[in-house]
Amino acid sequence: MKKVFVFDDNADILELCTIILEDAGYEIKTSSTSNNIIDQVLAYIPDIIFMDNWLPDVGGIEATRELKKHETLKAIPVIYFSANNDVKSLANEAGADGYLSKPFDIQELEDIITRHLN
Amino acid sequence: MTGCEALVIGGSAGSLEVLLKALPVLDVTLTFPIIIVIHRKHGADSLLPDLLSSRTRLRVKEIDEKEAIIAGTIYIAPSDYHLLIEQNRTFSLDYSEKINYSRPAIDVTFQTAAEVYKNKLACLLLSGSNADGVNGLKTVKRWGGLALIQDPDSAQVAYMPAQAKLHVEIDEILSIENIGEFINSLK
Repeated sequence: MKKVFVFDDNADILELCTIILEDAGYEIKTSSTSNNIIDQVLAYIPDIIFMDNWLPDVGGIEATRELKKHETLKAIPVIYFSANNDVKSLANEAGADGYLSKPFDIQELEDIITRHLN
Repeated sequence: MTGCEALVIGGSAGSLEVLLKALPVLDVTLTFPIIIVIHRKHGADSLLPDLLSSRTRLRVKEIDEKEAIIAGTIYIAPSDYHLLIEQNRTFSLDYSEKINYSRPAIDVTFQTAAEVYKNKLACLLLSGSNADGVNGLKTVKRWGGLALIQDPDSAQVAYMPAQAKLHVEIDEILSIENIGEFINSLK
């Protein structure tokens, strides 16, 4: 079963993503902080990561950069998501592999996972 | 209740799992609208109606300002606005201050719905961690409507239905498993 790690400080997003992705056959873990990002991800080793821009502690951009500098974790695709109009440039700045504008719907969420895992 | 003209469901923390269990049970021939007011943060806006829609064959949609209320539709209140029911049976969205630390506030929708649908209204309060909805249920009772709560013992967060049970004369206390069938019986 493919594993998805979602980072977001919005508990509603985490709850909804958990239900939707479990329905779709994924295993999912969530977190509402970017604190110790490397340790969090190393403890789970997901197949794909969703990273919110406004994340407590170092924030989504710095957290993504840390992941992309890490020898073993840098290969895991990171999808950056934000309600910010500049989500594409924020994703580029962070070094993410893709982006998703909030609000997004179920199909968009599932499509972007399929695209990056295949 | 016979001749139910609207059901309003209010909920907060722990209410999503209840809706996901109740929706698949609902008859597609529902003769009244269901209006759902859930406390939630901005940002998950498309996901909630989308997810609820995946659990029922009834039409599910997020409410638009001034939209007319149609039977057989499940309406979801958007985040960050109070939801009012107008006398001409349309929705109105209001950005005034939070009530009970909440926007949307369940009280606002219950109270305005009570004044419109009177004794043809049923209101159901689900799991949650504050007392929003309790005053609204009092108004519903005053107008002759039906006050319903999720059984606090079955609620992920019992405080909200427990407060209602304490302060309002409740008509039915429903377990999660019975909510869908009870809604079907309203007709």
